[in-house]
Amino acid sequence: MAGKNGLEGKDSGLFVREATGLVREWSIFDAFVYAFFSINLITLGLYIFSFAPYIPDGHLVTAIIVSSIFIVFLVIVYAMLISILPRAGGDYVLQTRILGGPLSYVLPFTGWVFVLWLWVPLYGNMLSWNVFTPLFTLLAGMTGNQGLLDVAFWFNGVHGLFVSALMVCVLASIVINLGMKGYARVQKFCFYLGMAGLLTVFILLLANDNATFVERFNAFSAGIGAGDNVYTDIIASSSEAGYDPIAWNNLALLASLPLIPMVVFFNLWPNWGSTLYGEVRGASEFRRNFLGMFLGLVVTAVLAVILLALIARTIGWDFYLASNFAFYEGFSGFPVFPFPGLLAAMLTDNPILQLWVIISLSGWFFGWMGTVFLSSTRVLFAASFDRMLPEWVSNLNPKTRSPYNALMLMTLPAIVVSFLFYYVPGFDVLTLNATVVIAICFLGTAVAAIVLPYRKPDLYNASPVARYKVLGLPAITICGIVLAGFLLFNIVLWFMDPVYGVHDPYSAVFMLALYSLAFVIYFTYLSRNKKLGIDVKKAFDEIPVE
Amino acid sequence: MLKRPLTKYRWSNFRKEIFSIVFLILRFTDKGEINMTKIFFSTDIHGSEKCWKKFINAGIFYGASTLILGGDMTGKAIVPIIKEKEGLHRAYFLEQEHELKTRQDLEHLTQAVRDRGYYPVHLDIEEMSALEKDKSKQEELFKKETLETVGSWIEWAEERLKKTKIPCYVCPGNDDTFEIDELINQSEYIELVEGKVVQLPLDYQMISTGWSNPTPWNTYRECSEEELESRIRESIDKLDQAKPAVFNIHPPPYGLGLDEAPELDENLRPKYAGRALIPVGSTAVRKLIEEYQPRLALFGHIHEAKGMIRCKNTFCINPGSNYEQGVLMGALINLEKDRVGEYQLTTG
Repeated sequence: MAGKNGLEGKDSGLFVREATGLVREWSIFDAFVYAFFSINLITLGLYIFSFAPYIPDGHLVTAIIVSSIFIVFLVIVYAMLISILPRAGGDYVLQTRILGGPLSYVLPFTGWVFVLWLWVPLYGNMLSWNVFTPLFTLLAGMTGNQGLLDVAFWFNGVHGLFVSALMVCVLASIVINLGMKGYARVQKFCFYLGMAGLLTVFILLLANDNATFVERFNAFSAGIGAGDNVYTDIIASSSEAGYDPIAWNNLALLASLPLIPMVVFFNLWPNWGSTLYGEVRGASEFRRNFLGMFLGLVVTAVLAVILLALIARTIGWDFYLASNFAFYEGFSGFPVFPFPGLLAAMLTDNPILQLWVIISLSGWFFGWMGTVFLSSTRVLFAASFDRMLPEWVSNLNPKTRSPYNALMLMTLPAIVVSFLFYYVPGFDVLTLNATVVIAICFLGTAVAAIVLPYRKPDLYNASPVARYKVLGLPAITICGIVLAGFLLFNIVLWFMDPVYGVHDPYSAVFMLALYSLAFVIYFTYLSRNKKLGIDVKKAFDEIPVE
Repeated sequence: MLKRPLTKYRWSNFRKEIFSIVFLILRFTDKGEINMTKIFFSTDIHGSEKCWKKFINAGIFYGASTLILGGDMTGKAIVPIIKEKEGLHRAYFLEQEHELKTRQDLEHLTQAVRDRGYYPVHLDIEEMSALEKDKSKQEELFKKETLETVGSWIEWAEERLKKTKIPCYVCPGNDDTFEIDELINQSEYIELVEGKVVQLPLDYQMISTGWSNPTPWNTYRECSEEELESRIRESIDKLDQAKPAVFNIHPPPYGLGLDEAPELDENLRPKYAGRALIPVGSTAVRKLIEEYQPRLALFGHIHEAKGMIRCKNTFCINPGSNYEQGVLMGALINLEKDRVGEYQLTTG
């Protein structure tokens, strides 16, 4: 009976009897898929890369590589913490159990609930710019139909973007109602679809040269009435506007550091699934959790660098940066977001292949969009189970098992936020807090990791990660310190430099309002529970053994 | 067609919320004492000595008047600690090989193994080799270790329960061998409640079973849904219909969210890295809960599915389990004369 089992996860010499829950190890590939989609190259990556011109001296490749190196520490910290405290709820559970106190509630609650409302319009933008706009622009280019082009423009306008955000709410709710089983299947299908699409893009970019792209891009632009020589015009007009793109071969290490707080919008999330881990996990899953997230991070970084290199080679580095700059500044000769998938699709005359590129790349969006509410509902459930939110928050529909109240708590405010984002000028800047608030939440978890071996020694020593030491100190403490340093670097830059949109009085007030609201909820429920004779603190305290 | 049930559902929820608020206001303004008893329920400690000791101490710690342990008390694995020579033992535990050179190291590891829910067994190389080849010897060893451990736990608990006088009810689960029942039955302070009706304070009465619907592991106390239904019905028939009931049933009801476990492939490997969850609870239990509607239902079995839900008039709760980390998950529930009062899920 000795052998592989769910307790130690390898040929460990244990003798195991037949008992419930003794499962074999899960596939690292499956864990990788989730992490890989959480740091989504095509949706999050290409979206945030398009803002790179606002830090003109920074190089995307350098920022991606350097940030990924530091994010490995985030992966180690979370993999270790999951191994020590394998419970659904992620940062909320980790911080409340290790640190305790109001901040341990406020940081994760703000980071995983309130701020996810702000992510919905961003997801809406990505759905519009990465899926609908390129699709209808392509169809318009193929058919010469002005109506289709108008649809593409409509999706690029406020009404279309708002509708896209509403669609995100609806689709994410459907995915969550499908349950994790259904979502995992959808995600895996989308993974293969999306990867096939990316491979097609790589092949198209490799098989053509810059001259061909320029010719085809100009022809396509002319076909949709954008002008005859748009490629050169975009570069020229950006230059006139004062934008001087950094050269592809100038990796500019120091000058690229300010680009990191922007790039982490895309790659800070390999641990996104940490909220989903339930209680029953074999101790060996530290390595599996680590490898799943680590591979997700590294493979994404490698693919990002390859994609950017191919863009530089075939589409042209200066043009790629200038076209994004011109789009945001509102003087682009190309009327829609210059989504690289659309640009790559122009490299073939075959309409089926063109459509395949856009549709297959949409797999990156549809396989990922459920993440907008999935983790939040877990955090809401965990807080409700702790009686720190009303019981009805964790209600499930007995027939469909839908977490309808938790979903409503996410979707309804998200719709309001999306409306404000698109229709109230200036509100969009506030959503730039979307990354900073989650990073501050991660900082709380990094602190929890640093102090865990000293604050909860029994829990730590009973875990398989206790054996990992660096210079005699617990590895989790050291990695936590490096992670905290990295997050602080980003947080300081976000607050100091207006380019990220966080250095803004309205933004600061908005963030403070979110934190204050979380504090109010915390103290309200603490006081309510106290009145009812529930000592929440004691409920998390360790019962003495002797 | 779609509007009507939704409207009805929302109104019913809203009404409940209003009643609950009014009740709370009345409660705070009421100067009289509320007739209430606090019970502590935990489950699935799976051989963790630390969790057992915490469970016994939970009564005093949380101020509970009754202790109830759901099923699965016993460990799933034996950790051999092999004596290679005088002053040198070796064991594989927590993903690493431990070389134990001092008595203190040996004692420390032995306790760590017990706290995690495994049975530490000291063997020499020849004994280990013989054990590896002989399945029946492994089974005998499991039985011996299980009984010795449960015996020592009972002894430890009795010393404390004798002083605290807190009633302690235990119901072995599907992972527990039948031999432990005899041991528990001999205890003066711990009551084995499988198949019995137990009187709790405030006229509550509790029925219990550790039997479960079929699992992929072919465990000791599992049976078909039909048999499970008939077992539970036998207990229900013994209940006084005029008194409120508590169902202490190891497997959770199917599809109420308290039974979601990782979907497994044919090799018992979790699909999609364990994130694909499916309901694995008992349809018989759900049927009986909906039919009888006890005031409170206590479940375990599915460690991942911590949570609570109200199903018709029944408050259902599964506190989950985290025994490997030595953390005792539990539920403190206030039973009031006319309702299930406040509750709190605990991680002790």
